[in-house]
Amino acid sequence: MLNPTAGPSGAPVPTSARLSLTWIVVLLAMVLLVAWAGQWSARRESAFQADALRRSIDVYALGLRGEAAKFVYLPFTVAQHPDVIAALASPGDTAMRQRANRYLEDVNRRAGSDALYVLDTRGNTLIASNWNQPLTFVGQNYGNRPYFIDAVSGGSGHFYGIGRTTGEPGLFLSAPLRSGTSIVGVVAVKVSLLEIQQTWGKVRDPVMLADARGIFFLGSVPSWMYQSTRAVDATERARIAQHATYGPRDNFPVLPWDVERTEAEPGYLLATKVDGIARRFMALDESLPNLGWTLTVMADYGPVTAARNRTWTVGALIAGLLLLGTMYWRLRERRYAEQRVARQELELRVEDRTRELGQAHSFRKAMEDSLLVGMRARDLKGKILYVNPAFCEMTGYRADELVGKSPPYIYWHPDDLKKHRRESDAVLAGNAAPTGFESRLRHRDGHDVYTMVYTAPLIDHNGEHSGWMSSVVDISEQKMAELRQRKDSEKLQHMQRLASLGELAATLAHELGQPLMALNNFAGAAKANASQGRLALLAGNLDDVAAQAKRAGDIVRSTQVWARPHLRGAESCDLNDIVTSVLAMVGAEIRHHQVRVSTRLDLAQPCVSGVRILLEQVLVNLVLNSLQAMQVVAVELRELEISTDRQDDTVRISVADRGPGVAADVMARVFDPYFTTKPEGTGLGLNICRRIVVENHQGALEFENRPDGGAVFVLVLKSAQ
Amino acid sequence: MNLSNLIVYVVDDDAAMRESTASLLASRGYQVQLFDSGETFLAQADIRRCGVVILDRHMGPAALTGDQVFDELKRQASPLVVLFLSGHGNIAVAVDVTKRGAFNWLEKTLTGADQLLEATAAALVQAASIGDMQQARQKAAKLWDTLTPREMEVAREMRHGTRTKLIARKLVCGARAVETHRLRIRDKLNVGNPAELDRFMRDNDL
Repeated sequence: MLNPTAGPSGAPVPTSARLSLTWIVVLLAMVLLVAWAGQWSARRESAFQADALRRSIDVYALGLRGEAAKFVYLPFTVAQHPDVIAALASPGDTAMRQRANRYLEDVNRRAGSDALYVLDTRGNTLIASNWNQPLTFVGQNYGNRPYFIDAVSGGSGHFYGIGRTTGEPGLFLSAPLRSGTSIVGVVAVKVSLLEIQQTWGKVRDPVMLADARGIFFLGSVPSWMYQSTRAVDATERARIAQHATYGPRDNFPVLPWDVERTEAEPGYLLATKVDGIARRFMALDESLPNLGWTLTVMADYGPVTAARNRTWTVGALIAGLLLLGTMYWRLRERRYAEQRVARQELELRVEDRTRELGQAHSFRKAMEDSLLVGMRARDLKGKILYVNPAFCEMTGYRADELVGKSPPYIYWHPDDLKKHRRESDAVLAGNAAPTGFESRLRHRDGHDVYTMVYTAPLIDHNGEHSGWMSSVVDISEQKMAELRQRKDSEKLQHMQRLASLGELAATLAHELGQPLMALNNFAGAAKANASQGRLALLAGNLDDVAAQAKRAGDIVRSTQVWARPHLRGAESCDLNDIVTSVLAMVGAEIRHHQVRVSTRLDLAQPCVSGVRILLEQVLVNLVLNSLQAMQVVAVELRELEISTDRQDDTVRISVADRGPGVAADVMARVFDPYFTTKPEGTGLGLNICRRIVVENHQGALEFENRPDGGAVFVLVLKSAQ
Repeated sequence: MNLSNLIVYVVDDDAAMRESTASLLASRGYQVQLFDSGETFLAQADIRRCGVVILDRHMGPAALTGDQVFDELKRQASPLVVLFLSGHGNIAVAVDVTKRGAFNWLEKTLTGADQLLEATAAALVQAASIGDMQQARQKAAKLWDTLTPREMEVAREMRHGTRTKLIARKLVCGARAVETHRLRIRDKLNVGNPAELDRFMRDNDL
């Protein structure tokens, strides 16, 4: 099979190519089928027609034979009649001839033949039925006519030809007239076949009659008359002329027929023109041996072609419909398949999505349920949409008791209703503090719950702001601790002092060790010098002893002040001097932190009443804090500004840095004990500083963030005046 | 060894401590040298000579500690006798320090002038004996150096009491030659028998 898409190596044909190949095969098969069906239908139709032709040809042949047979005995019968024999025997007897004439006229009329006449042995007509008509045969010689020749030689003759006298065609039948055993004449009858021809003319399809030479002499198609189906040679033409069969005609052209024969079929197809119109016929020949003629009956082949065309049309229609149907079916199948696949995919996706959602949901639920922080979602008007178990636990109400409620909520503390209302309104207006706010709730069982509430906008899946989500942290523990701590403040401070005392004791030992041992050494030296009379050295030793004793004393005194600061009396302190000496003390640290220091000591009368060593301690603490704060900024930005100034009756020392400042969320707790932002801080430094300033000096320790970065701590003291 | 030839080094970052110790020791006639840090001491003092160091254990945050100075002395095999001073301490510190080879350990707050003097004197005695030993060794080394290489070889075998024949076989020479070497060694090192030779060599690290 020709396969243009197959590769030379017989590689598998691509699917699409194979598909189109299938289509081509199917199409070919259909075309063949339709063609075959057309042919089959044409054959069937033509078989019908052939049958019809055979039937009609039988009818025509029968009619023709009948017409001939009807008169074939007439000449014999007439030849027996005594009057005729008598008239022939005595040609000179006019009366006898007249009686015979009348007899023939009578017989001819009764028989319905064209003419009935008697010839003598030379071919001269002696007696004729048309004896009294203008174109009478009497006296005519027909000796050249075949029917005469046949009959006069003892046979019976029959001959079709055009009458020599009348010029009209007819069938001539003859029989010999015997007198005893000798032939004395010939009786002939002329039968006109024009009636039959007229009958044939009424039929739509051509019916033609040809003689033995194939020349049509009778038929329904006038233009085919005296034309031949085959070539007529010269000899025949001569004989025709001799017999004057067709009058003076001597040319019989071959008909322009296109004949198509099939072996098995008796009939044949012929194509020709009739009156200028191309036509196709199915023809059937029937030879009539008695007469030597051939009867040709035709039927229009149009119906066969029409039947084939009809079958083809119908077949093509059916095939087209089938094809369309198949294509539609295939398309539908494909669409169904696609839909099925799509549906399965969709189902899978839905399943996946459902599982994911389920997981997400269970994950979220587990997360919400495990949260210790209460969660509360509200719409824009404050209606509660959702609370988690921790929130329910916090308030003592079930979720279904809270969801759907609007302010005032049932868990609001009755003493704080105004505050609750204000804060709730602020939240719903979008003005909630990002750092959250404290809120006191009333638990169902009546105890107070202190909470910290942080609120963020609730954004739905469309990205629209649909409400507020608050996280509520239970800070009751811290709150209680704070309260307890405030109550035990005095005790705590005392404890802290004790703690610092303990810490100091260890370093004290070290600090005191040096002067004490030096003291001992100098004393020992003095003793030796004294015993050896080296008085100058002795005096020096004693000075040294005194100095070391003072040093030890100073250390002890400062420690006493530290441990029990309120016991020490105040002295007049120069703040400028304190700043200078503190800067000297922490000089190494300042250099180590690579910080520039600028001072502005504007105080004219910088004196306050206070404990110098404590104020120094506070200032050292503040400076060290600032240095540490600036660790996180670039070296070129690290600048420490220390200034002193006066406001009304207060004097102030400001310590300003360029660090990150005090974070908003720790502002409130900066002075809390044990609160620290440093990894190794004790959280006591600023607390002690503030206590020193507030408790020992009735001053204040304040701080604020600088607008251009950094923080400033201000030590405010009463002026000495 | 004469104690007055020995120097007492005082290493302390505290000026009062240095001065007072120096005054005390000077009043008793000792030679004193002062250093304000371990670094200057190691750089300037002659740590190859015998003597006593009174070493403060804690000297400023960035400076060498007394322990580090002590370790450095040991590393350099200094003959100096070390007397530690400490601001405060406990038994564990004391044990640790003496275990590592310090002569003594004094706590500043608990130490009177007399105790310091006592400890210094004891340390000086120790230093003097170390100095004596050092001198003896130097002398022995000189004697040893008078031996020929062959005599040294024979002496090293002899100290273990090895018999002459064996020594001769080991050193591949005649018994008579070994005999001669033995006599020479006895004369030069002034030792009577192999046991004395062995003690001489062991004492002087030869």
